[in-house]
Amino acid sequence: MSAPAVARSKVHERIVVVRLADAAEAMAALSLVFGLLLVFFPVSFPKMIVNSWEHGQLMPVMMALALLLDTCLYLRIAIMRSAKPGVVAAACLGSLPLLVVGGLSLLLQSAVSHTLALDMPNLQLRVGEEILAHTYLGLISAVFLPFLVIRLLQQFKATNS
Amino acid sequence: MPDWTSLKWLGWIGLYLIPVVFLPWALSRAWVHQHGSDLHLRPKQLFQRGELGLLSLILTSSVIWNLLQSQFMPHTVALGSVLMALGGIMAASTWVEAYCRESSTKAWNPARAWRDSRNLALMVFSMAAVMEILLDRFAKVAGQ
Repeated sequence: MSAPAVARSKVHERIVVVRLADAAEAMAALSLVFGLLLVFFPVSFPKMIVNSWEHGQLMPVMMALALLLDTCLYLRIAIMRSAKPGVVAAACLGSLPLLVVGGLSLLLQSAVSHTLALDMPNLQLRVGEEILAHTYLGLISAVFLPFLVIRLLQQFKATNS
Repeated sequence: MPDWTSLKWLGWIGLYLIPVVFLPWALSRAWVHQHGSDLHLRPKQLFQRGELGLLSLILTSSVIWNLLQSQFMPHTVALGSVLMALGGIMAASTWVEAYCRESSTKAWNPARAWRDSRNLALMVFSMAAVMEILLDRFAKVAGQ
């Protein structure tokens, strides 16, 4: 095989290296959209989230959204760097968002049951605000944590090789 | 109807932006004027070693402090604090990495350090803004 061909094949085989700064852009955009929705629709947007949580639709929607976001983000990074997606990263992105959102939904259930057990005024409103906060934090975690794990795994692999 | 009172976080973030971003830039302009130099420093050049990461860490500490003072459930406070802390630590690590690379023989790319710290600072800023809006909303509910 000629030297240029070897170089070309190496370029094609290169696995995409993820930097947290790439995911940070998307998370900033997600946060800004969430914040603007809260400012411009202070009643209807939280009400929509609370209603979908009460009907059991919030977590599946969050899982789907997180998976979609993570996949699009990873593919965008791969295209930008002209590199091939890795198997480990794909496995992380396929499982971690679901695990994170699933785990956080249990945490939300616990927070809601603790709130309802309190003897305080405006319990329903407090529960609504807890759901709203967990929705935002869940979305951010489901995007941030998989990329953080991939980044740390890549650094660990680079140090050991 | 939009809830404009939630936008008070803009003023709160401005308190951090003015001394940390605007003041160094203004001081650099003053120095250039005093010394008659023809330097045209931009924020990108002033913060090319990832110094914005440090600002993010300070902002993060402030949001965590506000979260700890809030009446949110401990679960929510813990989750929010851990996420903010992770964001702040990652932002600060861009400054540390740039400093270590510059001080050692490792390759150092100022453009990359600036880009990474800028993106992570933007992320921490927007997360801090949303957390402050959520804290503001919860304070109103708890105060009723």
